[in-house]
Amino acid sequence: MTPTNDELIAEAMTEEAPLLPLLHRIHERDGYLSEEALRSVSKGLRIPIADLFGTITFYHHFARDPGGFEAPRVCTGPICCLKGAHDLVAQLDGATGMPCSGRCDEPIPVIRGSQTFVGLSASQLTLGDTPVPPAKVGDYEECVFANIRSSDRKTIEGYRQTGGYEGLEKAVTSMSPQELTEMIDQSGLAGRGGAGFPTGRKWKAVADAKGGPKTVVCNADEGEPGCFKDRALMDHDPHAVLEGMALACYATGSPRAFLYLRYEYPETEHLLVNAISEAEAAGVIGDDVFGTGIKIKIYLRRGAGAYICGEETSLLNSLEGSHPFPRNRPPYPVTHGYEGTPTAVNNVETLASVPPIVLRGPDWYRNLGLGNHSGTKVISLSGDVARPGNYEVPIGLPLSTLIDEWAGGVPNNRSVQAVTMAGLSGGFLAGDDLDVTLDEPSIRAKGSFLGAGGIMVFDDSRDMVEISHMAMEFFAEESCGKCFPCRIGTQRLTERLAGKAGPEDLEQWLDEVSDLNKTMKETSACGLGQAAPLITESLLKYFPQAVQTHVIGE
Amino acid sequence: MSDETGRTIFLDGEEVPFDIGETIFQVAERYRKDIPTLCYDDRLEAFGGCRLCVVEIEGARTPVASCTTMAEPGMRITTKSGSLEMHRRVLLEMVVSENREVDVDELSGYASQEMKNLVDRYSARTGRFAGDKSGVSRPDDPNPFILRDYENCISCYRCVRVCAEQEGDYAISIMNRGFETQITTEFGGLLKDSSCTFCGQCIQTCPTGALGDLKALRHVEVEEPIEKTRSVCTYCGVGCALDIMTKGDQVVGIQPAMDGPANEGALCVKGQFAFDFVHHPDRLKTPFIRDDHGQLVPATWDQALDKAAAGLLEAVNEHGRHSLYAIASGRAPNEAGFTMQKFVRAGLGTSYIDNCSRA
Repeated sequence: MTPTNDELIAEAMTEEAPLLPLLHRIHERDGYLSEEALRSVSKGLRIPIADLFGTITFYHHFARDPGGFEAPRVCTGPICCLKGAHDLVAQLDGATGMPCSGRCDEPIPVIRGSQTFVGLSASQLTLGDTPVPPAKVGDYEECVFANIRSSDRKTIEGYRQTGGYEGLEKAVTSMSPQELTEMIDQSGLAGRGGAGFPTGRKWKAVADAKGGPKTVVCNADEGEPGCFKDRALMDHDPHAVLEGMALACYATGSPRAFLYLRYEYPETEHLLVNAISEAEAAGVIGDDVFGTGIKIKIYLRRGAGAYICGEETSLLNSLEGSHPFPRNRPPYPVTHGYEGTPTAVNNVETLASVPPIVLRGPDWYRNLGLGNHSGTKVISLSGDVARPGNYEVPIGLPLSTLIDEWAGGVPNNRSVQAVTMAGLSGGFLAGDDLDVTLDEPSIRAKGSFLGAGGIMVFDDSRDMVEISHMAMEFFAEESCGKCFPCRIGTQRLTERLAGKAGPEDLEQWLDEVSDLNKTMKETSACGLGQAAPLITESLLKYFPQAVQTHVIGE
Repeated sequence: MSDETGRTIFLDGEEVPFDIGETIFQVAERYRKDIPTLCYDDRLEAFGGCRLCVVEIEGARTPVASCTTMAEPGMRITTKSGSLEMHRRVLLEMVVSENREVDVDELSGYASQEMKNLVDRYSARTGRFAGDKSGVSRPDDPNPFILRDYENCISCYRCVRVCAEQEGDYAISIMNRGFETQITTEFGGLLKDSSCTFCGQCIQTCPTGALGDLKALRHVEVEEPIEKTRSVCTYCGVGCALDIMTKGDQVVGIQPAMDGPANEGALCVKGQFAFDFVHHPDRLKTPFIRDDHGQLVPATWDQALDKAAAGLLEAVNEHGRHSLYAIASGRAPNEAGFTMQKFVRAGLGTSYIDNCSRA
């Protein structure tokens, strides 16, 4: 029997962070969110109806018209656009575009309801399946990908064949939380979602913070265009992520953890639900972890389509059911996070790195990096390369080694014109600056950053102004609207890159664009508005001639 | 200079004390730094949206919003520099570019000139950053009180925040995101179908006149200057302070007093909008008494009081003193309330007296 609104609401009210799961259940049941259902939710969860309505409209994927849930959404991210995504939108009945949905290493993804199809045209669409990371090429040892390619890795039995959950067992039975935190600190592990904050220090701050219960959040809202590493990790090694979360809980003294998954990974949701119940049934998480009496509950929550929810304070607001604007910082989540409790927000890859470190020791991990760099980084490589995919590189590997030797170079006898860094957020590197190693200090010295590790490659046939336009359009669509420089700036830059507005005089055009760049970079409230102008800045730096042609013609 | 607590910051080179929990903006206000803002209303939680209040802190990578950053001992803060003033001008040029107009009539609302004044101060009417305009106005909303001219909205959300934080109505919220952001009611409907109580506080905090006082705006064409007279609302016993706006001898509108001790800028729908009775043709200017045919005819106060006294005496004589029951108006001041109960108890000899707010 289909559950009624009241039944669903009664169920939700017994849960942590109930709003999003409740809305998803109604969305899937009815195929959209009706006014009647929303009024019931408002009453049941005591959220003012105007606020609830406003919040629903913030998310890309909540449909407000019947049938909207099943209507096809086609990825119109930069890489998919190069593959003809807009033609596919036109071919499919009732289809709309969606921002990069994290499958840049596959044909164009189309989400219908809870399923993802991939294909280059309407007649070719088949059910998508997350590619296993390409076979290891170099001599370098891997951390998170070391065992990911074995076929039964998704199951708890498969995971335990190579030491799965032994790190957690070791920690909860023979280490103090402080010793665990100290070990992670010594390993040099730092945030792999982009910010690069030392993981051990974050855990210590949460453990030392006053108040509770403490909370761990796994940030799986992988919304950065050109990034699809977290999906590979969750789809092929879900238990490594769960074990990492449990270890974070133990280190910080948190009885609960949330995994906040982006909407665009529906299959991953089902997989993780299974993995969590397998792990609970095995007693490795749950009310009595390895018989120690320690309680670690893991809850899965799914976003609804908003890039900004990858920003940790927006994510926390979203989890709490309020409007997903970023919060003002300080205070930081380590003292004032989920519902005001001390909260460690860690990326999927960061957490998946923890179990091997616990088993093999901090020195092992530290030595995986090249030179003075610690550890590894998964790079999502896409665009004009022979073998796009996820590659786990030692930090400090030359970019050219990755592109030319690991990924087979640029096809069709073409050469690299530019690459993006940090998905889109790091802007472009081109020319001599392509001679760079994959580590933050080197890349920051070029005015960019490695971030979450998405790299899109564009060959010498690509129109960099048009690619910049697609990139800025993404930022404009995803700007939350809280702060002025980002809300208006991303719009104005998009219009200028599209040739729709702006001065016709080159000098005035450049003057406006560089003023927007500067003010956005220095005054925006969060990383989105601070990073977006790196696109225009690097476009002006590397491709002045293309810009001139764009503004005043040949 | 340092107070006994030793908590000081350096504000443009000058060492000044501050209290725990004070933001940089609050300290700077006290020292009359005149930092520009658009999303700030000191009655509301600091929001950090407009970014005009950014200041430089020595050692910080980028400027910070002074409204949301707490003062900390030893901070060295610059509130005005070439680069800060450049950012402020660019931000103002950006908001000018998204709106239909900068100049709105003062009658729009208490804060309606804030944006215009800043745009003029920073000479930001340059026409730079031209492009699409943001906001969709709602001329279809027939309510007689609140203009919803969102083409002039700059998405500072002061209206949404005052509605939630001050009035507790939660009638309006923020729809969509980015440049498509729009102030909305539930499901985009009319204000009368929402939980709006038409208190008008959103109008009075709006810095651009996007939300305007429709009743006051009826008098835009009257040539005379606006004069404001501080008074107290006569509707109930709270004692909300307000400014009566007049042009010549005509009352054209009401604005709440932001420094009113009882209301701190709040009014209700009656205090804010129900002033038409002042000039209404039906308004009673003399007492009336009924003649022998039951018709109301104008009378003097002496005649009216004699008639009332006779009627009251007749009722007491005929039905006893407890046949009378008096209700004092909630609009009456304390002194009048006291006189009323004295009259009823000592004069009429009954204890049947109450106040309309309870009766």
